[in-house]
Amino acid sequence: MDLLTVFTWFDKSWLGELIRNSTWAFAAIEVVHLFGLTVLLGTVTVVNLRLAGFGLRQQSAAEVAHDAMPWTYVGIVVTMASGFLLFVSEALKCYDSPPFFLKMGLLALSLMVTFAIQRRMANGSVEFSLVVGRLLATLTIALWFGVGLAGRAIAFF
Amino acid sequence: MSLFEICQFIQDSKIGTDIRESIWVFPIIETVHVLGVAISVGLIMFLDLKLTGLGMRRIPAAHLMHRLKPWYMLGFGLMMISGALLFWSEAAKLYESFTFRMKVLFLVLAGLNALIFEILYTPRIASFETQGTPGGATVVGWCSLGFWAAVIGFGRWTAYGLS
Repeated sequence: MDLLTVFTWFDKSWLGELIRNSTWAFAAIEVVHLFGLTVLLGTVTVVNLRLAGFGLRQQSAAEVAHDAMPWTYVGIVVTMASGFLLFVSEALKCYDSPPFFLKMGLLALSLMVTFAIQRRMANGSVEFSLVVGRLLATLTIALWFGVGLAGRAIAFF
Repeated sequence: MSLFEICQFIQDSKIGTDIRESIWVFPIIETVHVLGVAISVGLIMFLDLKLTGLGMRRIPAAHLMHRLKPWYMLGFGLMMISGALLFWSEAAKLYESFTFRMKVLFLVLAGLNALIFEILYTPRIASFETQGTPGGATVVGWCSLGFWAAVIGFGRWTAYGLS
């Protein structure tokens, strides 16, 4: 079974049809997608500011990462669930879109980097030096911005 | 000159037309706008979560407010500048959009809500840790979450042109 078969199956599914044929569904789901994105970028910003030695400096990196963790999960679950629905409704369009695959690649990378760092921060198993912290924070933020830009580009290519 | 004529004038200006007719500039400004919103509202959300008791148990409200302020102001700056440029390019169209008017209404409500907090609660925010969050500040937190959600929702709807 190749990728085109899978994408076609999603595109032709009743769920895809339902969202595509509705006037409001796509826009409403995208609003939810933006809510999730706001929560996700908010926590990523708070945690990475702390990692870079800015923001909530009176707390330890572990405290900030730990308190922000549930909201990182909320942000990711809401963004990915709504994002999946958006994908299903235009899977074949995504198949022909290079930025879609770029976005998915960057997303996978961003998720791995974000969790690898935040989980280590939260359980206090690793202390990053300020220089390493700043490099990692810059990398993480840049990756998420890349996800956003590639996502926007799907509408154009 | 009516407000609509002013909007039409702004939209028809050289810069407005250039942004509107560009292939790259408009979507890039749009992306910066969304990222600016996500960062500013995403950071303010942490104070709201604290005030409403939904999260951030171990971090005092005073720290969330003061330590994050330069960063959410930076996000605000990005959001307002990019938003002004987007408005510039389609001012007349937005003037007639119901969803855009609702968005501006909720933006004003969010601003007034923040002003109320600034006047009534910021001076004694340090005491929240010892004396608990005042009921009024909890209400402000819930209003902030609701108003900003409405700003984002109506904002996205405006971009769809589903007036």
